[in-house]
Amino acid sequence: MEVVMQSNQTFADVFKARGVSRRDFLKFCSLTSVYLGLSPSMVPNIVQAMENKPRTPVIWLHGLECTCCSESFIRSSHPTIEDLLFNMISLDYDDVLSAAAGHQLEDQRKKIMKEYKGKYILAVEGNASTKDDGVYCMVGGDSFLNTLKETAADAAAIVAWGACASFGCVQNADPNPTGAAPVSDIIKDKPIVKVPGCPPISEVMTGVITHFHTFGTLPELDRFGRPKAFYNTRIHDKCYRRAFFDAGMFVRSFDDEATRKGWCLYKMGCKGPTTYNSCSKIQWNGGTSFPIGSGHPCIGCSEPNFWDRGPFYKRLAEVPFLGSDSNADKIGVIAVGAAAAGAAAHAAVTAVKKAKTDKHENNDKA
Amino acid sequence: MGRIIEEIYVWRLPVRLYHWINALCTVALFVTGMYIAAPILNPPLGEAVWYKGLAWWRYVHFAAAFIFIANFLFRMYWALLGGDKYARFGGFRPWSPSWWGTPFKEQVAAYLFIRSDEPNYVGHNPVAALAHFVFIFCGSAFMIFSGLAMYGENNPGGFNATWFGWMIPLFGGSYTLHFVHHLAAWIFPIYVIMHLYAVFRHDVVDRTSVTSSIITGYKHKVEEEPA
Repeated sequence: MEVVMQSNQTFADVFKARGVSRRDFLKFCSLTSVYLGLSPSMVPNIVQAMENKPRTPVIWLHGLECTCCSESFIRSSHPTIEDLLFNMISLDYDDVLSAAAGHQLEDQRKKIMKEYKGKYILAVEGNASTKDDGVYCMVGGDSFLNTLKETAADAAAIVAWGACASFGCVQNADPNPTGAAPVSDIIKDKPIVKVPGCPPISEVMTGVITHFHTFGTLPELDRFGRPKAFYNTRIHDKCYRRAFFDAGMFVRSFDDEATRKGWCLYKMGCKGPTTYNSCSKIQWNGGTSFPIGSGHPCIGCSEPNFWDRGPFYKRLAEVPFLGSDSNADKIGVIAVGAAAAGAAAHAAVTAVKKAKTDKHENNDKA
Repeated sequence: MGRIIEEIYVWRLPVRLYHWINALCTVALFVTGMYIAAPILNPPLGEAVWYKGLAWWRYVHFAAAFIFIANFLFRMYWALLGGDKYARFGGFRPWSPSWWGTPFKEQVAAYLFIRSDEPNYVGHNPVAALAHFVFIFCGSAFMIFSGLAMYGENNPGGFNATWFGWMIPLFGGSYTLHFVHHLAAWIFPIYVIMHLYAVFRHDVVDRTSVTSSIITGYKHKVEEEPA
């Protein structure tokens, strides 16, 4: 890959070489500062970093995954998009995107690990199978579990792309036949930024990288290890349909009048009220739309284990109870019924017993 | 009916007030909570800005919740510092094996009809104390903590998010916490059924006016039926 040759260039050099004007470069820096939630006074810091710091080398590994994170990433809507962004982060190894393959490419990964020991970012897309020594995900002749451990050992930090690397996604949904485990379950001694979503929003992905590049530190994280700048608020709190939620105006089926009018999707199982992400702020594909904007309830893809919190189109999760699919209300009604039946039975026994004692006492009197 | 031979002032005013405020709040919270989970009413036609269809239910839920919390804290104060011998926690020591000894076993045996005579307590009997600890103390505490964690969600970094937000990762995410909060709400109707049944039953069996005692404060000792 040609990017390998440019490893000491700054971002500004790359922008210049690619024919991007300084005006567009500054626009990019301002946009990035907005996405990162930084004040306008921080823009010069970003410009400074972009112009002077050598680009941060990134090794991008792919485990058990579907590549939707990469697909999202290459659609980042910043100036002159795809190839610019590939150059931006100095993507030195990516087995899916690179032209080279086989030993050539694996040598490249090892070279970067040696040259930039302790300095590179390890970006992980997908997760590792841990069952049976990880044989359910083999890459380059070795298990992904081994590759991940080996590459993580000398990384400065790890970025876990997407729901797979962050929380496990569909691979570790019940019953998880391959023992798929998120990166944080395998690597314990490195700082990990979780960028969940299925996939994450492209601007969120580039924003996280830019933050690390600009400040040399990881962004501030929430309780789940997600960058606060993008995962601090719920979809629900910034949703443009929130007015319909408060008013109690709901879509009741996907072919009703309310659907055409764009009312709230809460009753259709929308997970917006419990999902932390930037979809209702940044939106997707350069601000074109997001699931709720297209009339589909949020499925909560940036939340842990969202596959096991189903069904997608119901508010209340279904859970196994006494060998059947149930939900909180069914369990509750059964329990209340059992309590009432128990009380009635107890009352009956009490009455019978009392009648007996009374009779006994009366007999005694007589 | 036997003659009333003694009136005992058991439930002092703070306890009775707590009881009824708690009862009203619990009913309000359960009804509004269930409605929030499944809002069934349709608003009339018109613009969203004219209606508070769901916002109103949520408002009542939150308002009742804060009254419930204040009332709960007041009851804790009364139990710990009120100096009220029938309302304090003093006798309740489930961590000590002796608490599970004879009085508890006797009461359980009576409820299971293994014993024929019913032990009589002026305050709560040991089984009632345990039920109140599990349902009312633990149940309320869980609903308060999980509720405040969810209430804090729309204000990241705020008081509730900071002090109660740890409940969210503890239960595996906001959605799961909502689910558990919803599921746990069902312990209150279960408790109400058991509570009302036990109270009415004791009134019939022991004739201590336990039902009216939560209004008047007085329980009665009744003379045994003349043989």
